[in-house]
Amino acid sequence: MTYSSLLFIYGFLPVSLVIYWITPSKLKNISLLILSIVFCTVNSLRFLEFMVICTLINYLDGILIDRLRSRKIIPEIMLFTGITFNVIVFFMFRTDFLDIFKDRLKIPDTFFPVGVSFVTLTAISYITDIYRKCIRAETDIIKFSLYMMMFPAIIMRPVIRYNTFRRMLNDRKITVSEAGTGLKIFVKGLTEKVIAGDTMYMLYTAVRSVDIWEMSALNAWLGMTAYMLSLYFTLSGMADMGKGIGYCFGFRFPNCFNYPVFSNSIKDFYYNWNIQVVYWFRRYIARPLYEICGSRIYRKIIFIAVWCCIGMWYRFDINGLIFGGIIGLTVISERYIRKFRLLKITGIIYTYVITIICMVFLSGENINYSVNYLLVLLGGSKMFADSMTLYIFKYYIVFLLIFIYCTTSLFRNMIMRSGNDYIIKAIAVISPVVTILMLILCTALISYTGSSEFYLTGLQERSFFP
Amino acid sequence: MKISEISGKITAFMTLTALIAGFILTVTGKKDDFSLNENRKLVSFPEFSLTALTDGTYGKQLNQYITDHFFGREKWVSVQADINSYMGEKIMNGVYMDSKGLLDAEVSSRKISRKNIEAVNKFFGNYIGTAYFTAVPTTSGIYGDRLPEYLMTNPEKNQIDFLYDNLTDGIRTIDTYNILRMLNDNYICYRNDTRLTSYGAYYVYKTVIQKLGFRPSSYDKYTIKHITSDFRGNLYNRCLYNGTEPDILDIYTYSGGAEVTSCTAYCNNGMTYRKTLNDEKFLESGDMYRMYLGNEEPFIRIKTSVNNEKKLLLIKDSYADCFIQFLIQHYSEIAVVSPEHMEKPLSSFINPDNYEQTLFLFGIDSMGNENLFDLINR
Repeated sequence: MTYSSLLFIYGFLPVSLVIYWITPSKLKNISLLILSIVFCTVNSLRFLEFMVICTLINYLDGILIDRLRSRKIIPEIMLFTGITFNVIVFFMFRTDFLDIFKDRLKIPDTFFPVGVSFVTLTAISYITDIYRKCIRAETDIIKFSLYMMMFPAIIMRPVIRYNTFRRMLNDRKITVSEAGTGLKIFVKGLTEKVIAGDTMYMLYTAVRSVDIWEMSALNAWLGMTAYMLSLYFTLSGMADMGKGIGYCFGFRFPNCFNYPVFSNSIKDFYYNWNIQVVYWFRRYIARPLYEICGSRIYRKIIFIAVWCCIGMWYRFDINGLIFGGIIGLTVISERYIRKFRLLKITGIIYTYVITIICMVFLSGENINYSVNYLLVLLGGSKMFADSMTLYIFKYYIVFLLIFIYCTTSLFRNMIMRSGNDYIIKAIAVISPVVTILMLILCTALISYTGSSEFYLTGLQERSFFP
Repeated sequence: MKISEISGKITAFMTLTALIAGFILTVTGKKDDFSLNENRKLVSFPEFSLTALTDGTYGKQLNQYITDHFFGREKWVSVQADINSYMGEKIMNGVYMDSKGLLDAEVSSRKISRKNIEAVNKFFGNYIGTAYFTAVPTTSGIYGDRLPEYLMTNPEKNQIDFLYDNLTDGIRTIDTYNILRMLNDNYICYRNDTRLTSYGAYYVYKTVIQKLGFRPSSYDKYTIKHITSDFRGNLYNRCLYNGTEPDILDIYTYSGGAEVTSCTAYCNNGMTYRKTLNDEKFLESGDMYRMYLGNEEPFIRIKTSVNNEKKLLLIKDSYADCFIQFLIQHYSEIAVVSPEHMEKPLSSFINPDNYEQTLFLFGIDSMGNENLFDLINR
């Protein structure tokens, strides 16, 4: 059951909202936990078992680190065991190395779409924070379970630190207008996923259906742009849906994406792309390493290495490594070329080209294909355009332009900067109507299959959502 | 109160009403077992079992159940088809939607199964009569130029050629692709189905029967009866797109010619029953095309008043159903075998060697069906 399925939208969501709202405030945490357990169970009982085991181990590990802090070496051992456990979990579900275990556990495929990788990151951040004395271990198992397995955060969670979460949990208030905002964000996310993400994915598959060396250069560019938009809208849509549901339960999750595509520089891109994940890597991997080696050249190497790790987190193979490596390298070299920039538009074009190169590595099923695709992008197939380009322009150009506009912050800035009360009022009046229209539209678009899947998994087994 | 708060409240109220209404209407709505327009059985409420819950199939079945019984499902689906046909590519659920007619968009992903080819070759190796093979193109082959080019990487022409090239030399292959392509300005294919109309089938018959050694009956000898003009076929079932006109079903009768004297169907469980060649009661069902030849059975024996002792074994899929009406002028007995509905080997129904001619007539799309011919060999 993903957020973009009829069962969720017209079954689980309204029922759980009503149940939650009529529960007395003392029992709200328990009711949310029970709802989350039901959510996991419907995905599969195995998934619930996994989540429970993961939660318990990290819970106990946290308490042990906290209690035995005065002893020598024991907290370190506990920290090490905890991290190792979570890393093994990550490897088990993201790579082929530990398939023996996986086969023995008989893991069903419904297991995979749900972001196991996010659970790993969350858990590691929790026990590390306790070790570093940033927080005390949570003794209330219900609160901690909510942190690990709360259903609004389970698919595409913003990897938030435990103290932030605890603050949210303790001060949450639900008002009707807050729920309205939440539902609006939910529908926005649904629209991003169902309309933008899926349409762009169709364009991408259309381009990919041709043999690589028969693809014209323009098609290759259009296809990769479509892939980038599809990836962005799918991830951001899922994150927004989770965020919106969170609002309905009183949690104000932060944004996962802040208009990263078509930024001014790669640095802006990475600051705004999957914000909490990138932050996690900086905080828990880069910073401790920086503390050990102070020299500037080492820092640069560490920076690139950490980006390689982020790449591998998205996709555990050489392509992921290259994807991360390119971003790391360009951010480093950007510091030197920044002085030469003339206009804003050159920055945007440059960022676009680099991100497209990154996407080539993220999307190709193996390194060979990606390199070939890169050559075709540069005109290696000796064709600039063909009849298919015309077809794409005929059917997709309007979509492409609209979606590109939606990935930029232009609309938001227009409202913010205008300062015009009239515009703000107009938007307030229109937004309920637009929300309901989009909900109807998306319902129609998923009515045949019943859900809008993570299409991006279709291409390579172990891509973003393993 | 600020305007944004009011707006938030209205959004909350409206959206929640929609969600809850959707939930209540779906739960309380009438649950049909069968969808006439989609011509398929709808999923029933999944039975609870621990294994299904453990491996996650229970959740999937539940979602499928909600999807199948979602309130106003068919309306939603046709709205989806309309949206898809207006915006972006006109493809939904593998069907290309065009006001001129629906086409199967997945034509290029078909693979002609080698297993099928080997089975036919083996059948021929053991057979003492003459065998003929006709692979009929689907609408996507005949109107392939209407499809966007990127969907035509593996056109049906290539698929048919591949099939014919790999059949043993002794099997006489009959090309119908070119003649149908030539006639594609006429109403030879349904707009909402992958198959040929009776008119198209007549031209297939004309080509085939000459190869089988007869003179085809001329077209003006037939009386044509329009049975219905509301036929929506297998492509419509997949997308419920109403932008194309419904189709006409015709029955051709040869005035003053031979008649069917008996038509017996043999079921897998050993039962037999008499049936008529065309059965108009199927016009009330989800699949009007069944009007030709009625319920699908593994084996049907048709005897006619023709007095020439000629017997034909016809191994076919549903593409041949409207084709049979033309054959009865030429054979005293026609044995019609549908391998896709056989659960027992062919020899338990008949001995092929009793028939001097065997004609395989299949839509090229059936040839990708891996286990199609598993039971035709002894």
